[in-house]
Amino acid sequence: GNAGAVTASCARRYAVEDVPFSVPAASETTDLSHLINKLLAAGDADHKYVEFDFLINGQFLRMPLVTHMEMENISTEEVVEIEYVEKYMAPQPEECIFHDDWISSVQATEEWILTGCYDQTARIWSLEGKSIMTIAGHTEVVKDVAWVKQDSLSCLLLSASMDQTVLLWEWNVEKNKVKALHCCRGHAGSVDSIAVDWTRTKFCSGSWDKMLKIWSAVPTDEEDEMEEAANRPRKKQKTEQLGLTRTPLATLSGHTEAVSSVLWLDAEEICSASWDHTIKLWDAETGHLKSTLTGNKVFNSVTYSPLCRRLASGSTDRHIRLWDPRSKDGSLVLLSLTSHTGWVTSVKWSPTHEHQLISGSLDNIVKLWDTRSCKAPLYDLAAHEDKVLCVDWTEAGLLLSGGADNKLYCYRYPATASDIGA
Amino acid sequence: PLSSAPLQDIRNTVGNIPMEWYQDFPHIGYNLDGKKIYKPIRNKDELDMFLEKMENPDYWRTVQDKMTGADIKLTDEQVELVQRLQKGQFGDVNFDPYEPAVDFFTHEVMIHPVTNRPADKRSFIPSLTEKEKVSKLVHAIKMGWIKPRKPKDDTPTYYDLWAHEDPNSILGRHKMHVPAPKMKLPGHEESYNPPPEYLLSEEEKLAWEQQEPAERKLNFVPQQFRCLRAVPAYPRFIHERFERCLDLYLCPRQRKMRVNVDPEDLIPKLPKPRDLQPFPTTQALVYRGHSSLVRCLSISPSGQWLVSGSDDGTVRFWEVCTARCMKTLPAGGVVKSVAWNPNPTICLVAICVEQSVLLVNPCLGDKLLYGATDQLLESYEAPEEERVQPVQWVTATTEEHGKGIRLIVQHSKALKQVTWHGKGDYFASVVSDNSNMQVLIHQTSKRWSQNPFRKSKGLVQCVLFHPIRPYFFVATQRYIRVYNLLKQELTKKLMTNCKWVSSMSIHPGGDNIICGSYDSKLAWFDLDLSTRPYQLLRHHKKALRSVAFHKRYPLFASGSDDGTVIVCHGMVYNDLLQNPLLVPVKVLKGHALTLDLGVLDVLFHPTQPWVFSSGADSTIRLYT
Repeated sequence: GNAGAVTASCARRYAVEDVPFSVPAASETTDLSHLINKLLAAGDADHKYVEFDFLINGQFLRMPLVTHMEMENISTEEVVEIEYVEKYMAPQPEECIFHDDWISSVQATEEWILTGCYDQTARIWSLEGKSIMTIAGHTEVVKDVAWVKQDSLSCLLLSASMDQTVLLWEWNVEKNKVKALHCCRGHAGSVDSIAVDWTRTKFCSGSWDKMLKIWSAVPTDEEDEMEEAANRPRKKQKTEQLGLTRTPLATLSGHTEAVSSVLWLDAEEICSASWDHTIKLWDAETGHLKSTLTGNKVFNSVTYSPLCRRLASGSTDRHIRLWDPRSKDGSLVLLSLTSHTGWVTSVKWSPTHEHQLISGSLDNIVKLWDTRSCKAPLYDLAAHEDKVLCVDWTEAGLLLSGGADNKLYCYRYPATASDIGA
Repeated sequence: PLSSAPLQDIRNTVGNIPMEWYQDFPHIGYNLDGKKIYKPIRNKDELDMFLEKMENPDYWRTVQDKMTGADIKLTDEQVELVQRLQKGQFGDVNFDPYEPAVDFFTHEVMIHPVTNRPADKRSFIPSLTEKEKVSKLVHAIKMGWIKPRKPKDDTPTYYDLWAHEDPNSILGRHKMHVPAPKMKLPGHEESYNPPPEYLLSEEEKLAWEQQEPAERKLNFVPQQFRCLRAVPAYPRFIHERFERCLDLYLCPRQRKMRVNVDPEDLIPKLPKPRDLQPFPTTQALVYRGHSSLVRCLSISPSGQWLVSGSDDGTVRFWEVCTARCMKTLPAGGVVKSVAWNPNPTICLVAICVEQSVLLVNPCLGDKLLYGATDQLLESYEAPEEERVQPVQWVTATTEEHGKGIRLIVQHSKALKQVTWHGKGDYFASVVSDNSNMQVLIHQTSKRWSQNPFRKSKGLVQCVLFHPIRPYFFVATQRYIRVYNLLKQELTKKLMTNCKWVSSMSIHPGGDNIICGSYDSKLAWFDLDLSTRPYQLLRHHKKALRSVAFHKRYPLFASGSDDGTVIVCHGMVYNDLLQNPLLVPVKVLKGHALTLDLGVLDVLFHPTQPWVFSSGADSTIRLYT
């Protein structure tokens, strides 16, 4: 049968006339793609074949047209508007960087990749996979790393560890030397997550001790006084100490279980995900709890996209859930992305595209998602041989994933601008 | 015809009314002028009337005018008219009813008709009213209001005598059948040659004869005959048959009521498992690293670290959320039991290796805490006088200290189990021995051990401290004994109904205990209810190795040699009247059977609805 008439619209580059077409109901994306290409070739003689992806009412077409329309309850008698976009190319594998131990965290910039490792070090790599620096100083597993500031001469970076401290490092790029500037003490448990704020002057840390702490990220020459320093052997403390001691500016308490992930929503709002099945939003200025989103599973990871203003969370089940942090009623899950078979350990929104995100899971697979197709991901990146523990996505279009197989995989992914209004 | 007009017009104006109405009045009506018309004076009595009748020759033609009351004498014509009417003749004398008929129209058909009017239209078109009536009937037939006549049914009808009888009553009559009472079977005394003890002696015979026939125990006297041939005919045969018949129809019989209940109805309705969430459903993580079967598990109070002991002689510490092995401690022997100190301010793990309990500081978690634990252990000062102890407390050597071992409690025999008291100072150890030295209670802070029992009550399988109250549970092969540690006495003895208890666990509320047994049963005891199991669950196919309660969620789990972990919902209500609700919710599979062993230990996460299981396939699995 014929699936009624279909009008199609696309970005300017591959625009066709806005005339309804009658399309066979059984046609799939490839058939539709052929149709569009024929139309384009008719209009433009030197047109090259381009593969397209098709959207009906904001949902990707992943099956024959008629089944999709049946599932979405769209009548085949009416004119259906199908949007098409150029098909996203598969991410191209670039590098595989070998570590000595499990990779717990990764954060990349345009020039360097910073990884935290279970061998108690943080490492800096060039984008080509060359080891530039190994930062040793922690006495326990490094759980999270973050860049604070970068310029051509020196960079500031942070590493959080299971030894309950966060170290603020200065890396002199020219001399290739690191120096521990500050040792942030105050947590009474493994520091699992750190996030630097938008002004690059503060950072927030979340720990197993159920607390969130806000610290200054500006290096100074002064040392903060530790309250509990008195009951420690003086000598021991001195030998252990790396850098100047720093104490938190503020402590946010309210979680009843370990905090697994923190991030800044904007200049003065912090979001934290916890093992107590909640995501809490905090006012960074006053330290007050603003709202709570309640789930029913332990949260492993949370990420926020300023483009679509949505939170995405990975928890100890198979689903990635999208949340609206502004919703007042609190616990509304907007969408679940389900395809993983193990815990979702890490999620990250695309910094450039409002619909795309990447997720890593205990089932050894990294998945690239488009929120318009919530049943099936765009691509499965099945390179890891063990648990995936961390993922990252840079603005330059680099996808990074590290895991328990000691490997950090890099993928080049064309930085697609968001295609809204196409 | 009116009477002849009198002089005076005395016509009465009352009209046609019954004149009796004026009976009691002196007048009889009113004339045209409205004056009363008086009745004529009648003063004739019976005698006068008679005389007049006799004397007046016109009496027979005199009538009374009712309207005026006057007597009128009928004329001859009037009399004649009356006589004619009486005869049934016409009043008019001149009317002749028998005049000859004049034939105006002849009966013969004439050539020229009398009238030549054409026939009416209505004589040849159907009648409208008839058509209306017919169409009404047709409509009624169509609508089924009028039924066409049914063809007569020629089949002969018979009267069914039992047509209206209730079928149940027939069945009921069959059901109501009461079998006749059975006759007593003949006994030895009825034999022709009874054993001598059945024969009556002379006194007994005398007594028998003196008894009332109804009171006699036997209604005959046992007799002995030489042989069957010598037995005479039984004289009471007819009599006995008659009595039996009397019995059968005179004795009232009673039906025994049997209740018909569907056994399904007796099973209480259990809620569906998906209404009882959360509970672990899928395998999430596998902790690999051990090279031999993993016997025992324990978890830190915060739920961040897991410790496991294995037959490969190592104890491993794991990060729960990533399955990362953080530390490996070679213990130098098969690790039978590990127990993390439940006190969250102390970081200490007790490990059973062969004949000693190692107290290990894993140095995981908060630095302050494990530092404080070390300080606490170091702050011990030996008492001045040497005490006699059943065990030896040894401080670890420097080399052992580096591995984390702090204290070694050396027993004389191989150890089976170690368990901590909720406060984290005392721990109990079980030795595989048959003497009264099987169970020892140790105090860490004073490094002091004591033997709580004077006598051995059997082979002790495992021991347990009550989470809140000073009770101590000791499971032997078949019984669980509950001792009060303060009063130093036995409080209760629980009958497990199992052949060999393997493990037990106590509900965090402290009033319920589950115990698993090697004969694949799990017994739930409600301590307030009874010393017998409240429920025996037989879900496993093979021996149970371990049972565990969750600290926060109403869950308990059991691990078995069949390689499965069964998670059950075990809701305990605060209301004493409501019994606990036990619903099996999930069978978790994953462990491979090795050496005919499956799951060796199960353990719940302290805060999340997650369950760990350690197996003979040298893995630990986490189900969430």
